[in-house]
Amino acid sequence: MTPQAAFHSEIFRVYSAIILGALTAAGLALAILKWAAGKEVKAVWLTYRSWLVMAPAALGCLFAGRVATIVFFCFIAILGAKEFARATGLYRDWWMTGAVYVGIVAMGVTCLIAQPQGLEPGHGWYGLFVALPVYIVALILLIPIVRNETAGQLQKVSLSIVAFIYLGWMFGHLAFLANAANAYGYLLFLLFATEINDVAAFTFGKVLGRHPLRSKISPKKTWEGAIGAFAVSMALPWLLRFSFPYFGPVQLALTGLIIGVGGQVGDLAISVIKRDIGIKDMGAGIPGHGGVLDRIDSLIYTAPLFFHMAGYYYDMR
Amino acid sequence: MTPWSYQPASDLDASIVERLRRFPREPDMFVYGARSAAALVLRAWLRGYHRLRISGAENLPRQGSFVMVANHASHLDTLCLLASLPLRKLHRAFPAAAKDYFFVDLPRAALAAIVVNALPFGRQSQIRHSLQLCRELLNNPGNVLILYPEGTRTVTGKLGEFRAGVGLLVAGTNIPVAPCHLSGAFEAWPKGALWPRPRRIRLRIGALRTYADFSNDKEGVERIVLDLREAVGRMGETKK
Repeated sequence: MTPQAAFHSEIFRVYSAIILGALTAAGLALAILKWAAGKEVKAVWLTYRSWLVMAPAALGCLFAGRVATIVFFCFIAILGAKEFARATGLYRDWWMTGAVYVGIVAMGVTCLIAQPQGLEPGHGWYGLFVALPVYIVALILLIPIVRNETAGQLQKVSLSIVAFIYLGWMFGHLAFLANAANAYGYLLFLLFATEINDVAAFTFGKVLGRHPLRSKISPKKTWEGAIGAFAVSMALPWLLRFSFPYFGPVQLALTGLIIGVGGQVGDLAISVIKRDIGIKDMGAGIPGHGGVLDRIDSLIYTAPLFFHMAGYYYDMR
Repeated sequence: MTPWSYQPASDLDASIVERLRRFPREPDMFVYGARSAAALVLRAWLRGYHRLRISGAENLPRQGSFVMVANHASHLDTLCLLASLPLRKLHRAFPAAAKDYFFVDLPRAALAAIVVNALPFGRQSQIRHSLQLCRELLNNPGNVLILYPEGTRTVTGKLGEFRAGVGLLVAGTNIPVAPCHLSGAFEAWPKGALWPRPRRIRLRIGALRTYADFSNDKEGVERIVLDLREAVGRMGETKK
């Protein structure tokens, strides 16, 4: 991944065109709804405006190259962990949150460096990357021992481990994907398809939604929204087949399943955490979306599942 | 099993500017880190570029909360007063800053809240509420409240009249007040100037005063305010 490679990559150019087109079309649709149909679109407009910032930022980092992409995903992971810590109250404990941040940075480093003995091809130390939870969980468990404390430590240790596994490791798979031979295809498809799945779930739920999907967890999500999004996600790998031309029907179907199911589950998993704490959004950092975690929750699920599915069938690097 | 109890930050649903405006804020380790790093840079800047000299820092109490009161001519004033405190007190020092000036847009609010740790003080409205915030700070041990009783930066370089707020806070209490005087800050960076000029700044910190015997009424407060103004003004007259 380099700016030159991005420039010459057909995948990158096509996705840039699709994203630009989608943003333009959505903007026009909103304008027509507002000026011609006289509908109130203020809330959706806020959401849309944030997309206008987020989509070019992500594209720009991917364009800038491998290091920029890894740093970008690490930065997002740290923002997400910060949000998780603020929402659970863990942020008051600097040792624990510090260990989570150390874990995320360590994840970034394993993505950047090569295997020391040169036993793995290309960039990124995959062996350490997948073994990282061992070390970080060990580090987190060490903290109460070093501080000679017991009261409330199990809760803090557990929350820290969840924060690291969720954001440092599962979400971190996106950063490691920057080392893949087909990094543009994998990353751009994942980001685009997962977000489309989210938008589809929202739209189908809004238009057709009747039956609550998980009434106690997220009253607004409906079966209609989930099924609609699933249908869209099953079709997307075929429509965007140029992202991974070597995928056969089995891999394309698995990809659709991962996006369609993983996207909803990721969303609901964050909702469980939010409902248990008793908050509505994880934060208010992104106008119209809530917090960073509310935006990346589906990716936390889809990225590692897709990564290991693709890794099972094909050589990643 | 007993359910876990979570204590989320109280400002989760607030936008970033709103979070900076609220007080008390809920900073995490990044805010503390940024503030400490900024303090090191700013202190080096003040000592290098402005040749800041501080005298009387030994007058400041090591324990307990106290108030620092100073004349106000420049944005540099607060940075100089903060530089007179040990670094470990940095996050417990709260300069009162005008809410209508510092807490309106994101860049200023970020500077005020993150770098300076300012307490948003309502000058026109919510004065009572702002004073209550100050009172709560001073009731907790180890806090430093920095006040400019003139209420704004001087445009003439002369010491203006003091407002009653500081008197209301300390009348009839044992909270020590340190009168401070800054000279040179007006020449270095007056109101309206775009960028600070390389002028020397001198900070004098006077002996502590307490006003336990002063009544918390109009007369007592007036006497406190006059006493403090006189103390600050007198330090400005002493020769270097």
